Amino acid sequence: MNDILEQFRKEYQSVPIPEELDTIVNRSIKQALHTRKVKRLKVKGMTAAAAILVFLIAINASTTVANAFASIPGIERIIKVLTLHEIKEKDSHYDVDIKTPAITNMENKQLQLGLNQKYLNENKALYDKFQAEIEELKQQGLSEAHIGVDAGYEVKTDNDTIFSIGRYIVQTAASSSMEMQFDTIDKKNQILITLPMLFSDDQYVKLISDNIISQMKEQMKGEEGKIYWIAGESGDIPMDEAFSSIKKDQSFYINKDGKLVIVFNKYEVAPGFMGMIEFVIPTDVIQGDLVSHNYIK
Amino acid sequence: MNRKTDQLLTDCITENKENIYRLAYSYVKNKEDALDIVQDAIYKAMTSIESLKDKAAVKSWFYRIVVNTSLDFLRKHKRVHPMEQEKLESYAPNAVDSYTDIDLVKTLADLPSKYREVVVLRYFEDMKIEEVADVLHENVNTVKTRLYQALRLLRVKLKDTSLKETK
Repeated sequence: MNDILEQFRKEYQSVPIPEELDTIVNRSIKQALHTRKVKRLKVKGMTAAAAILVFLIAINASTTVANAFASIPGIERIIKVLTLHEIKEKDSHYDVDIKTPAITNMENKQLQLGLNQKYLNENKALYDKFQAEIEELKQQGLSEAHIGVDAGYEVKTDNDTIFSIGRYIVQTAASSSMEMQFDTIDKKNQILITLPMLFSDDQYVKLISDNIISQMKEQMKGEEGKIYWIAGESGDIPMDEAFSSIKKDQSFYINKDGKLVIVFNKYEVAPGFMGMIEFVIPTDVIQGDLVSHNYIK
Repeated sequence: MNRKTDQLLTDCITENKENIYRLAYSYVKNKEDALDIVQDAIYKAMTSIESLKDKAAVKSWFYRIVVNTSLDFLRKHKRVHPMEQEKLESYAPNAVDSYTDIDLVKTLADLPSKYREVVVLRYFEDMKIEEVADVLHENVNTVKTRLYQALRLLRVKLKDTSLKETK
């Protein structure tokens, strides 16, 4: 009897473990933690492209709409973000959920239209690319394949001076990837804030990079399983992939406490299982190079 | 408190990832679907962690989610073999007259899932009968009975194969 069981145990354990299991497991954990946090606004039912465009132009250009908001007593002209458009499709082979945000109620209509159009165009490109992938799978007759894409946004900060919005894209094939982009708007001056704009010269690149490297080292010391690729530290990683400095226009946002947060996408500075990484930069580190304390406190 | 439970669950998932993959695979029998189930199960577990009452039982709680996700998947994709019951009866000791189908069942994978899962959990995952019962949401006696039937089924089947080979 034991022989028989042993034989079946061997059969059971002979199932090969796919290479991507590790990545998938780690990513699923990250994603679950992430989606738990993301609150989702849902506006459904607008699928016709023409309708969206008309709507987009209306909220951007119509002074009537803008004035209507402005004229209601007690309602200030607050920048708002809403889900302009959601594509949701599901079938046994694929899964799409793309939410396009639209910013409304900005005084600077040109900037608002520019941002909204960027969001719409990027998501349209994403959807088209995804459609092409599905077609390809169908042509190859890979009936077992399953791919998915999930795109949306979250408002990181919305206070008196600053409005930060982050957009994420999660793509799932056998393995999946997540990317995030941020836009931060100065509410008072109605302009888009860029990273170099915050500082008087280029010193910030080195100040921030040095701080991040020390934070990385600190974290690696403190917790087992945390790995960052730091130039000159990790011997087995080729130098060009290791982190030595942020880009001048590195991804960032300003959090609710008025602190600068630097963001790295998956694989940018660490192995895939670490996912997306954020570093809050202590303000005293960049004090000397800051133009003002309007945004960062 | 939440952070701790999160960590507990994350550790449990990471430690058992290969086992849960194999468990899922034993239901769906292909890599892509098994990976999907692993993903789904992790997602479900992480997002419904409040329903975990007894932290000591995190492993059986998580395995139960994997089992349920697998069964849901099979239900949705209707891959459950409609002949299962008849096939099963044909292996009962008395059903001498239906030898025609015997070639179909040679491996663990061919064992009907309600028997396979008890064997897998008890012998290959080294769980206690009580834990198996917990995972499958059945009572202990049912699990014992099924296990007994499964073992009998396996023995019968093997006898049949050897019979066939000597002919």
